[in-house]
Amino acid sequence: MRHEFRMSVGADPAGVREVNAAFAGFAEAHALAADVRRSLNIALDELLANALSHGRTGRDPCSVTVEVGLDQDQVTVTVTDNGTPFDPFERDAPDTTLSVEERPIGGLGLHLVGQLMDQVSYQRREGHNVVVLVKRLVNG
Amino acid sequence: MQISTRTSNDIHIVGISGSLDSTTSPEAQKSLDAVLAGAKKVALDFSQLDYISSAGLRILLGAAKQLRAKGGTLGMFGLNQSVREVFDISGFSSILPVYQSEAEALGAL
Repeated sequence: MRHEFRMSVGADPAGVREVNAAFAGFAEAHALAADVRRSLNIALDELLANALSHGRTGRDPCSVTVEVGLDQDQVTVTVTDNGTPFDPFERDAPDTTLSVEERPIGGLGLHLVGQLMDQVSYQRREGHNVVVLVKRLVNG
Repeated sequence: MQISTRTSNDIHIVGISGSLDSTTSPEAQKSLDAVLAGAKKVALDFSQLDYISSAGLRILLGAAKQLRAKGGTLGMFGLNQSVREVFDISGFSSILPVYQSEAEALGAL
């Protein structure tokens, strides 16, 4: 049986906190394993922070819809926003071998998402950015 | 997210509990800046840290750069599996000293 929740928030810090709180409740209610929950927490934070910084429609912050679906063997997260077109996964991976002095601050977030999730995809659909993430449950 | 600070000899130990993400990083940054102003050796206690995203990594890198510029060091201990994984993916494991325990961190810093 599939469990899911869906919510729409503004792309602002209050919106991110609302999603975090809803996801925490969902994870607890369905006893998601800690490692899966943490990976999804991180991925959600990266995508929402990304929508905050890139996803503006003119002068207004865009709105973001988050859907989380839990199936027997995987969790699927869909993040949709109405901001300017932005493919979060088309950038080159950052150089993770540089020293503390050489390291630029930033540029790691979307690389983390790609590594922590089992599948990531991006589509521009009807004026929206649609990102779909899949995390498999090892013992699902 | 909650932050606690204590000292052991000349080492400042900063405990961060909960999550270090885009919503909590601004506050963590402020607390850490206050410690960094008067410290050369800082150990971050991550034993109660649930997860860290890139917003948190950004703060750690900034703190490491700041300390290194004045001849100080930043180390951390108590990483859970998730935090350790993020450190490995981002390459932070090889640029920042990670210790198994508080005792090990205090002995090495």
